[in-house]
Amino acid sequence: MKISVNWIQEYLQFELPSIDELVTKIGAQLGAVESVIDLTAQYQGIVVVKVVECSKLEGSDHLNVCLIDDGGVVQGVDRNEQGLVQVVCGAPNVRAGITVAWLPPGATVPSSFGKEPFVLGSRELRGVVSNGMLASPKELAIGDSHEGILEIDFDCSPGADFAETFKLNDQIIDIENKMFTHRPDCFGQLGVAREIAGILGRPFTSPDWWLGKQRPIEVQSALPLVVKNELPELVPRFTAIALAGVTIKPSPVWLQTYLSRLGIRPINNVVDVTNYIMMLTGQPLHAYDYDQVRALDGGEAATLIARNPRDSERLTLLNGKTINPRQQAIMIATETTLIGLGGVMGGADTEVTEATTNVILECATFDMYSIRRTSMTHGIFSDAVTRFTKGQSPLQNTAILQEAAFMIADVAGASFGSEVVDLNALPEEVTARGALYPAIAINASFSNDRLGLNLTADEMAGLLGNVECAVSVDGDHLTVTMPFWRTDVEVREDIVEEVGRLYGFDKLPLELPERSIVAVVKNSLLETKRRLRERLRRTGANEVLTYSFVHGKLLEQTGQDPELAFRLGNALSPELQYYRISLMPSLLDKIHANIKTGYDEFAIFEIGKSHVLQHKDDGEDGLPLEMETLALAYAAADKLKKPGDALYTAKKYLAAIADELNIELKYVPITELPDAPMVKLYEQHRSAFVRDAASDEFLGIVGEFTAVTRKNLKLPVFAAGFELDNEALLKVSGSHSRYQALPRFPATEQDVCFRVPSELPYAELHDFVIATLAEIKPEQTKLSVAPLDLYQKDEATKQITFRLHLASYERTLTDKEVGVLVQVLAEKAQQTLNATLV
Amino acid sequence: MNYQNPQIAETAELLLHRLSELPVKSDIFKAAELKALYDQLRTLPPEAKSAFGQEVNALRGALQAIVDEAQATEDALPPLDVTAPFAPNLKPSEQPQLLPSECGSIHPLTTEITTILDIFYRMGFEAVESREIDDEHHMFNTLNFPEGHPARDDYDTFTTTQTDASGQPYIAPAHTSTMQHRILTQHAPRLEQGIPIACVIPGRVFRNEDLDATHEHTFYQLEGIYVAKGVHAGMLMATLQTFLSTYFGQANLKTKTQPFYFPFTEPSFEFAIERPQILRKDDSAEQQWLELVGCGMIHPNVLRHAGIDPQVYTGFAWGFGIERLVMMKYGIEDIRHFEAAKLDFLRQFA
Repeated sequence: MKISVNWIQEYLQFELPSIDELVTKIGAQLGAVESVIDLTAQYQGIVVVKVVECSKLEGSDHLNVCLIDDGGVVQGVDRNEQGLVQVVCGAPNVRAGITVAWLPPGATVPSSFGKEPFVLGSRELRGVVSNGMLASPKELAIGDSHEGILEIDFDCSPGADFAETFKLNDQIIDIENKMFTHRPDCFGQLGVAREIAGILGRPFTSPDWWLGKQRPIEVQSALPLVVKNELPELVPRFTAIALAGVTIKPSPVWLQTYLSRLGIRPINNVVDVTNYIMMLTGQPLHAYDYDQVRALDGGEAATLIARNPRDSERLTLLNGKTINPRQQAIMIATETTLIGLGGVMGGADTEVTEATTNVILECATFDMYSIRRTSMTHGIFSDAVTRFTKGQSPLQNTAILQEAAFMIADVAGASFGSEVVDLNALPEEVTARGALYPAIAINASFSNDRLGLNLTADEMAGLLGNVECAVSVDGDHLTVTMPFWRTDVEVREDIVEEVGRLYGFDKLPLELPERSIVAVVKNSLLETKRRLRERLRRTGANEVLTYSFVHGKLLEQTGQDPELAFRLGNALSPELQYYRISLMPSLLDKIHANIKTGYDEFAIFEIGKSHVLQHKDDGEDGLPLEMETLALAYAAADKLKKPGDALYTAKKYLAAIADELNIELKYVPITELPDAPMVKLYEQHRSAFVRDAASDEFLGIVGEFTAVTRKNLKLPVFAAGFELDNEALLKVSGSHSRYQALPRFPATEQDVCFRVPSELPYAELHDFVIATLAEIKPEQTKLSVAPLDLYQKDEATKQITFRLHLASYERTLTDKEVGVLVQVLAEKAQQTLNATLV
Repeated sequence: MNYQNPQIAETAELLLHRLSELPVKSDIFKAAELKALYDQLRTLPPEAKSAFGQEVNALRGALQAIVDEAQATEDALPPLDVTAPFAPNLKPSEQPQLLPSECGSIHPLTTEITTILDIFYRMGFEAVESREIDDEHHMFNTLNFPEGHPARDDYDTFTTTQTDASGQPYIAPAHTSTMQHRILTQHAPRLEQGIPIACVIPGRVFRNEDLDATHEHTFYQLEGIYVAKGVHAGMLMATLQTFLSTYFGQANLKTKTQPFYFPFTEPSFEFAIERPQILRKDDSAEQQWLELVGCGMIHPNVLRHAGIDPQVYTGFAWGFGIERLVMMKYGIEDIRHFEAAKLDFLRQFA
């Protein structure tokens, strides 16, 4: 929302502070300032001059030599004996006697300001010196017109400063729109002027016309006008008036400059007035060509009807686009024909043009939700939409309509063709009250308690009164009636906000809440994840974060059916179309690029959430279940020619996790691949399910990847990974210590090697060795068993070597004792597992 | 696949049968019958070309799929003893090793969240994580956004094609405030025992926004909620000031507020602090303040929705982004690095 400091000043009875102070104040108490543009610099040095003489330049078909009177104010420029300055001008409308804007040598063309500044000089044109130039509206950045120079349309003496004359020695402050989402009144200069008075602690007085004290309307040349409202729910107020005998032409220059400084392009006097009033009050207006509207119905009267579109009705808009309006859109129509998309954009057929002689001016209130949907459905975003979607007050229409009508009468020479037609569908009490909500009763303490302040009721009344709230005070008690334009204050908390903001939030006392000394319980899942991250970092792994959304192709490449994933209806690109089903594909997707960058061996992991459609209703509140997992992918580039298999490296990482969580893991071969999307990318016979050994709780899966997955994602052969369920990890994670007391007696180490059938899983022998030794070892002995070597001699058998570590708490174990122990172990192994001690 | 064209159907049957017996599967593409179909395609009139061409391509695709699958089986590695600690026949030095710990790193965003949570724990706040898929009820309705309210547009939410029981699409939350109603509802009973609701909520949020060096569609926020008796707006400012002063290690940083608009807080603010010395480049005006936090007093309707009487209890809430803090701290130039999983980036945080 752009505001003009000069425009605002016109509505204030006191001088505004310096621009810096003003901007700081606005930032602190009204809303974030996006930018401040100083127009003074843009219009510096431009002078109002009179063209005294104008003659054809010999040898040119369009250039004129002009002698201009600048009142002698510009220094350092050549003058004739009469003190006049010579300027060559090619504009068709240049002639003696007109008052124009002169850019003397050294001045910058305003339209080039801030881009590639064009600075004028004195130069020769066909042997004649031209000092600077006479400027067109376009060059002055006032409008689009470049057909001729700007003619200043009122009496002002030569030599006047152009910027001062038109109050273009101005500052434009751009306040973030979002700030005013709930403040439709602040989409007009008037509303912001009032707020500025309020935050500066000064009372604001609205102009009489705004408060409804208008001159009476006298209908001079009656134009039949009928207005109907078939949608009272969506159009709570619909007002209109007919104006006769308008002369459509460019607006007075002052009016054009008021619009242009705020970035509105002047069009013609009638349209400019509607825009001027919109910029002033925030209320959009629309002007129709009266005769065109009337002609559509055959000529009895001009009729405006607010209604929904009928089947197959179409409308061509002002922007040239033809639409099939959405069924629930608020349309403006005659008896026979659609003429406007209400609150969004007018129709092309009834546009005010140079041929227009009578107009209808409409000032209506449209339902903000309906306008929003219409705007979105048709993709039309206009200044009117911006304002209507904030919900303009339906109590401001007649004042605004009348002010606009009087102004058109002034600038377009119109007379009144009808009374104000006012279809008011508001509840009677609202109209009677002149405020949207009933008065709010509030104690000063209610506000003070919520702000931490100690203001008196009178002080609060003063703050609210400055912005024209009607407040009565009775002791500590306030009764507040908001003015008719305020749509945002409905409950007491809204009053609290007003008081706090007008007083200044920066003046609130900083005071921490009191708290008890009860210790906060940390979130156990978050803590577990923190520990796992820390542990994995120590194992040389790198934590990554990847998007929650993935490409359907990535799902397919890793054997995951996109049909099982939540799909975004408005994804930014196909790359971000689906919620991921598991984390592993996202990790695998990042491996090739990192290898290419020069990382030959690495492990990346991510802790995150995934979702499957199958569990759509299985989460809390019946929402989709959020599965949180820890996934790790390890890879070594092919060129490293790593011996062995990557699965076992992945298992090393799992062992680190098990160690961190004080659990023991069990690896279960996958005899049948379950029909779950997240396991499809694992190579069945080189993968295992991971379970907690103690509880048998399912934790996840570890493994290498299928050849298809490897090929699709350009993975090296030596790659493996795992994905574990964090909730399950938390559930099984132990707090018990695995510490064993240190024996005082020396320990004995003994390596034992078994030859076993190839198909015997390692874990079976390992578990057997531990269980057997636990049974047969001497009392009070500490025992550990570690794998030392695996040797596959031929297809039928393999050899497994363990290192036993034994120490007694009571005595020194003898070699003989240990030898017997191994012997017994060997016999049992032979019997049970067909394992032969080597 | 049922081929409409009898000639193609016949060829398909023939080739599929031959393929099952071929030792080198990819040789099927050399089949004369297949080439004949393509030759014929070229001679067809334009109106017949499209349908015929589609079917020939479909046939080629079907063959390709079988060839690929066979190739994959061929590429498959032999089974492993998944219960073993390492592969057989390795020298001790060849047994699997973890990577050197100096390579390891934690993502700077999670590190920062941990640091921030630690401060809030010490200040007496609990922590709960945010959801990544939610519904309109939590994202908007319970936060005082009326149905169809234009303020919803400010959030540029992603929505799913799938719908919930009420026929509404699911939403990828655009702010961690999506958790407010849950936390308030869950903890409301505590208030009667005189225990305040004090909770922070870190989480991943999503905005339908084009990527550039300073804009991500996926980013992290930290939400905070505090509700008790007698809570006022000055306490909100003091709480944020305390947190930020602790976080930046500079006592009593000056604060500044800007009024703002959120439907779920009243009044609403944008909260700024004096830029801490460690982040100051110079003494210019732009360097003076750091706008960081959107916040406000929780709207009475939001409390009421959660069964908390706004006459008795008041509270505040805030939310801020994590990425900006991290980018300022380390001088990270491009927000897109965070989710790119580049080791070049990550290993700098070892």
